[in-house]
Amino acid sequence: MSLAPVSAQGEKASWKQRLKAFFVERLGLEAVQSLAAKKTVPLHRCTPFYFLGGMALFLFLVQIVSGILLALYYKPSPDQAFESVRAIMTEVEFGWLIRSAHSWSANLLIGILFLHLLTTYMMRAYRRPREITWITGVLLLALFMAFGFSGYLLPWNQLAFFATRVGTAIVGVVPGIGHSLLLLARGGEEVTGDTLARFYAIHVVVLPLVTFVVLGIHLYLVQKHGMSIPERELARYGGPERVPSMPFVPHFLLRDIVGWYLALALLAALAALFPWELGEKADPFGAAPEGIKPEWYFLFMYQTLKLLPPYIAGFEGEVLGVLFFGLCGLVVLVVPFLDRGPRSRAVLNGLAAVAVAFFVVMTAWAFFPNPEQKVACIMLGTLLSFVSLTLLVPFADQRTPAYRLLIGLLGLLGLIFVGAAVWELIA
Amino acid sequence: MDTDPGSSSRRRWLLHSLQASFAATVAAICYPVLRFLRPRPATVSGAMEVVAPFRVNQLPNAPGNPFNFGGKPCLVVLTPEGEKRLARGERLQPGDIRAFNAICTHMDCTVHYRPDHGDIFCSCHNGVYDLNGHNVSGPPPRPLETYKVTLRGSPGQEEIVVSRTS
Amino acid sequence: MKGRLAIFAAVWCGMAFGSAVAGEKGSASGPSPSLPDDYSCKVCHWKDGELWNQETPTVSESELADDIHWQVGLRCHDCHGGAPSIEDYENHRTDESFHAIASPADIPGFCGRCHSKIEYMRRYTPSARTDQETEYWTSGHGQRLKESLEEKKVDKDVATCVDCHGRHGILAVNDPRSPVYPTHVGETCARCHSDEKRMAGRTYHGRPLGHDQYEQWQQSVHGQALLKKGDLSAPTCNDCHGNHGAVPPGIDSVANACGSCHAKQAELFSEARMKHRFEEIGLPGCVTCHGNHRIVQPTDEMLGMAKSAVCSRCHSPENEQYGAPLAGGEAAAAMRKAMEDLKQQIAEAQAKLAEADRLGMEVSGPRYDLRQAVDALTNARSLIHSFSLDRVQKALKEGLDVATNVNKRAEDALREHTYRRIWLAVSLVPILLVVTLLILYIRTLPIPEPTSPHEADR
Repeated sequence: MSLAPVSAQGEKASWKQRLKAFFVERLGLEAVQSLAAKKTVPLHRCTPFYFLGGMALFLFLVQIVSGILLALYYKPSPDQAFESVRAIMTEVEFGWLIRSAHSWSANLLIGILFLHLLTTYMMRAYRRPREITWITGVLLLALFMAFGFSGYLLPWNQLAFFATRVGTAIVGVVPGIGHSLLLLARGGEEVTGDTLARFYAIHVVVLPLVTFVVLGIHLYLVQKHGMSIPERELARYGGPERVPSMPFVPHFLLRDIVGWYLALALLAALAALFPWELGEKADPFGAAPEGIKPEWYFLFMYQTLKLLPPYIAGFEGEVLGVLFFGLCGLVVLVVPFLDRGPRSRAVLNGLAAVAVAFFVVMTAWAFFPNPEQKVACIMLGTLLSFVSLTLLVPFADQRTPAYRLLIGLLGLLGLIFVGAAVWELIA
Repeated sequence: MDTDPGSSSRRRWLLHSLQASFAATVAAICYPVLRFLRPRPATVSGAMEVVAPFRVNQLPNAPGNPFNFGGKPCLVVLTPEGEKRLARGERLQPGDIRAFNAICTHMDCTVHYRPDHGDIFCSCHNGVYDLNGHNVSGPPPRPLETYKVTLRGSPGQEEIVVSRTS
Repeated sequence: MKGRLAIFAAVWCGMAFGSAVAGEKGSASGPSPSLPDDYSCKVCHWKDGELWNQETPTVSESELADDIHWQVGLRCHDCHGGAPSIEDYENHRTDESFHAIASPADIPGFCGRCHSKIEYMRRYTPSARTDQETEYWTSGHGQRLKESLEEKKVDKDVATCVDCHGRHGILAVNDPRSPVYPTHVGETCARCHSDEKRMAGRTYHGRPLGHDQYEQWQQSVHGQALLKKGDLSAPTCNDCHGNHGAVPPGIDSVANACGSCHAKQAELFSEARMKHRFEEIGLPGCVTCHGNHRIVQPTDEMLGMAKSAVCSRCHSPENEQYGAPLAGGEAAAAMRKAMEDLKQQIAEAQAKLAEADRLGMEVSGPRYDLRQAVDALTNARSLIHSFSLDRVQKALKEGLDVATNVNKRAEDALREHTYRRIWLAVSLVPILLVVTLLILYIRTLPIPEPTSPHEADR
């Protein structure tokens, strides 16, 4: 990548230039060059949100590289899966780093994707003609959650084994085709070595292929339509052509790289300070261990299904729960078509606010289920709420009641968080 | 702004140091990756096979027997027939050398081979196993776990490769 | 008697009439061939036999079906004698060939007629033992029976063959339902030996028999292993007392009884000076410290001079007994001290290894080596039975060296983990440097203003 226009510097530079010319001529890079030169990024209050997509892309690259490296030593069989992961963690040089980086960046990626989805929704970037971009984006989120679910089993440890058993059992409650889906997911009635092989194939072959296709469409569409500008900003500047912008190369890209480097630093720190645990080898015939939990991004579903009564109005609670989440997914997928005017928008916004609050509360609850951990639960909940509310700040004009309410809420959440932290420290 | 020479030289300096530190980070990323790609040592925990730290001609009383195989002691036994063959300088037959998980199935003591009795003995509670690993007398409830043995190298000097059967 | 025989003949004629029905009934009753219709015993001792009455003891084919004797083809007359067919039938009381059981004292001989004859027993099993009857007469039960016979007043409470094995329906001894199968031996003995009334006033060599042995054994490590864990190798009553020749092991033979499984301890003890001293005083080996029926898992608490320690029962100045030297107490205390040191080292090493494991450090090597230290501890625990401080200390020293070494390596692994963090910090330097320089560089790049001059709005 060119960090700066190449300045003529005698021999060396001309050699470089000739090499560059060689490739430009043969690969037809002029098109790319002109595209890059023309591409601009609008500058307004919500510009920071544009970084989230690039950040997700970077983390996905980290996933690809670290995933390929792990595949060099990993063996997908129940006899060897756990041992090979243990060998990666303990015997292969820097294996602990690679595996921890893979796991941590997967979690960061999902987190970033959630934020990306939320901010895109808030900017209403799915407006015509970007409906397909939105749909592919939601599909990508689903794909990455599937990545997470299938990858969770691969170390073949107790937690993963039983979480997968529970997770695939949930698929089984879908009315009608549930059992067939369960058999398809598990490759048998039970979670066995075949399930492991299946999940491995899905994780390293099927999902990457599908993801490349969907991601390709997503990125193409982003290039084609350019960045979407929120209506409020358009109104503020009086038309799309009057919104200030900066060139993508190098201005925006450099800022992107700053973000990537910060993510890299965070990843390295997390991997070194909190290496991903290995747990104990799965014992299919043993009793389920205490505290089996899925990954954090499934916790809200897990907690809801746990809380549902066995029967609601004559229907099985679990079935209703699964259908409900299926419906939610569908609603999110078709949001661009549901948004048909100010009234439907108000309904959607209300639903979104409820959904975010629901997600925050359930995740915090499931993360710290014990009554003694109430303070920690409150801290996590306020932190998550704080983050989601912060996203709203660019949308509120200063000195309006809405803005004051928002700031007030943020202040309140901050106070609760600090108070809880102090309480935790004292007690 | 490029008109200011001070700013331009500052930018050049920035660019150079940026390139240098960029190269440093690339190195910092590539170094662990390259180390990761290096073959790991042959004797590893949880490995499916391991080479015994002695050769057949050192049996039956080889130093370092039982040895560490995936965190568990592995006992290598040279059967009396094998011993005779070895003494006559003949090639060993399959089954002349056997390998077991040396943890007694009764109370987890370490068992040992008794060449004079031709059995495998656990001195904690007088448990006796035959050379197929079957529990023949005393308290052990189950046979010993057996491993697969492969010999490689020149006759009489073979290396003993022990591997899990599964 | 002639009259009765006549009735009998008449009845038999009637029976011949309905033989077809009876034959069918018999063939349906089980896998073993049923008794022929003219089988003499059936007439009185079958519940639906023609001449059965309230006073006649009965047996049914279903009771007999699982009997090992029945299964190998033996029928009533093979054990009880007499003529099998009605034609040849003679009154029991006059029939010479009938083997009457007048009192329990007749039972050993009754069974022994076959079971003591190797020529006969070989037909059924090539390695049959035929010493049960002989053994029986040497047992506490047999002796008491003999004694009571001599007194002309047969002790009917004394156990004979049938009390343990059953009467009709005797199962093979390796049948898990058999009352003498390892898991049932305890209950079987307890039927009499836990009966307080029956045991009252009974003595063996002048000592009262007691009635709580089974209860105590159930709580013992052996009872738990057998009953809870289903470990059939764990000893039950007969493994120490013998079965047919059941007697309490004598003072001089206790160690041998225990030594049949705890060989190493027995061997060490047999060479120990302590053993000879015990014999001189008349203290039984093993039992003096470990107890007899209620042998619980020995703990290290038993060693040393603390209150809970068994050594202090004799070797302490407070309760000096049997002329036990105080030096022995000091040795015991020293053993305990060394043992605790090793245990502490092992525990420390294990904790550090677990921590290192948790942090993803490779410690399988030191973990494997730590087995040696644990083995040394186990070894030292058995070496205590040599009552030699030197030997125990030597074994413990070996373990301690290993454990110390493992401890050091575990610490190294933990230190290595710290280095990783330091190196991480070092690698963060170029990353953060790039970030800083990038930000500085970005600041030198002004954003060109192509079309929109609306900066003023912000």
